[in-house]
Amino acid sequence: MTPEGISQLITRVSLRDRNAFDALYSSTSAKLFGVCLRILSNRTEAEDALQDIYVKIWNKADRFAIAETSPISWLVAIARNHCIDILRARKPSSSDLDQAANIAEPSANPEQSSIAASESRRIYDCLGQLDQARASAVRGAYLNGDSYEDLAARHKVPLNTMRTWLRRSLLKLKECLEA
Amino acid sequence: MSATPTDSTPPDDDFIAAEYVLGVLALDEKQSVERRIATDVSFARLVARWQQQFDGMNAEFDPVTPPSHMKALIDKRLFGTVSQQSAPFFGNLAFWRAVAFAALVLAAIGFGRDFLNNSSAPDRQLIASMDASGSAYRTVAVYNQDRKQLKVSLLAGELPADRSLELWLIAGTDAPVSLGLIKSAQLTEFPLDRSLAGKLQEGTTLAITLEPLGGSPNKTATGAIVAAGTVREI
Repeated sequence: MTPEGISQLITRVSLRDRNAFDALYSSTSAKLFGVCLRILSNRTEAEDALQDIYVKIWNKADRFAIAETSPISWLVAIARNHCIDILRARKPSSSDLDQAANIAEPSANPEQSSIAASESRRIYDCLGQLDQARASAVRGAYLNGDSYEDLAARHKVPLNTMRTWLRRSLLKLKECLEA
Repeated sequence: MSATPTDSTPPDDDFIAAEYVLGVLALDEKQSVERRIATDVSFARLVARWQQQFDGMNAEFDPVTPPSHMKALIDKRLFGTVSQQSAPFFGNLAFWRAVAFAALVLAAIGFGRDFLNNSSAPDRQLIASMDASGSAYRTVAVYNQDRKQLKVSLLAGELPADRSLELWLIAGTDAPVSLGLIKSAQLTEFPLDRSLAGKLQEGTTLAITLEPLGGSPNKTATGAIVAAGTVREI
C-alpha cells in the first residue's frame, strides 16, 4: 500500500472508522510485529505488545495529522517506543547483562537488498563514516532497543564512557546527515 | 553536562532528543523526556527531526505476519466485540450535551430559528456535532432535506487568517469527499448535489480539516482534523 493510502487509513481511523482500522491492520501489522519480535526477542511478549500497540494506534490516530512524518515511520515509532518501555521495565539482572555481552552485534553493513529508499542510504552512508564499533552501537540501540547499560556491557566499557562515545557519534552523524 | 567552547558537543537538548529516539535511556529518564515532549514544542521538534534521520533504519525491521487470531483479540479489547458494526463516535450523553449546547448558543446569538429552520423542516432532521480532543474548534451542522442544504456554524474557534477550514463527508468506507470551505464562523451553507445528498444520512461522518488557503490542493484531506462528528437523526 502507498504511503498516501496508509495516511488516509490513519485519518479515517481517527474518525473511528472500523473498516479503515481493519485495512490498516492488514497492511501494517506484519511490519509492526517484526519490530516487536526484533526488540523483545520473545514471541509471547511480542504478541501482547502488538495488541497494546494497535490499541494505542486506535486511540492516538487523531494526532497523526499533526505529526510531520511518513505514516509507516509514525507507526513504527509507536511500536518501537512501546517495546522499549517494556524492555526498560524488565528488571535488569546481572545475568541479563552477561547475556547482553554475549549477543552477537548487529553487522555494521546491513543487507543492501532491504535498503531501497535514498533516505535509508543517507543514514547508512553517515553510519559508515563512524568507527565500526560506534556505528554498531547506534544501530544496536535503534534496532534492538539496547540501553546504555546493555551497550556498555557489550562493548566492555564503563557506562560514562559509553555515553561519551555515543554523544560523539551522534554529533558526527548529525554533521554528516545535515551536510 | 555543560559544553566548553572548544568542545563541539551538540546542545544538550539536541543530544537528549537523539538519545530518546535511539531508545538508550532508562525508564525514568525516558518518561521525563516524554513529559517534556508533550509540553515543549521546540523540544518536540528536535525529537521529530532525529526520528526522521533514523527512519532510514526502519527498513531493517523484517515483516513477520502475526498469528491470525491477534486481530480478534485487539477488536475485543477495543470494542468488546469482533463484529463489523461501527462504534458510535460519541457516547449518547456527550452527543446530546453538544446538541443542547449548540441550540443554546444559536439562540443566544440570534439566528437559532433560521439555523434550525423548524418551520419547513420535516419531522426528522439530520444534525451533527463536530469536535476533536485537544482542538479549539466546536461546530454543529444541520441538514435541510427539502433544500438539500447543509448549514455549518462554528460554536468555538476562529476562522484562521492564513489557512482554510474544509468540510468533508465520509460515507461508510468511501474516501472523504470535500463539501467546500467554511467561509463564515457564524453560518456557511453547503448545497449538496443529488449524489452527495444521498450519502448524507445517519452514521455518515462529517469532518473539518485545516488546509492551505483556498482548500486542499488535491482531492484528499491533507491537514490536521480539527473537528469531526457523526450525523444523527433527531
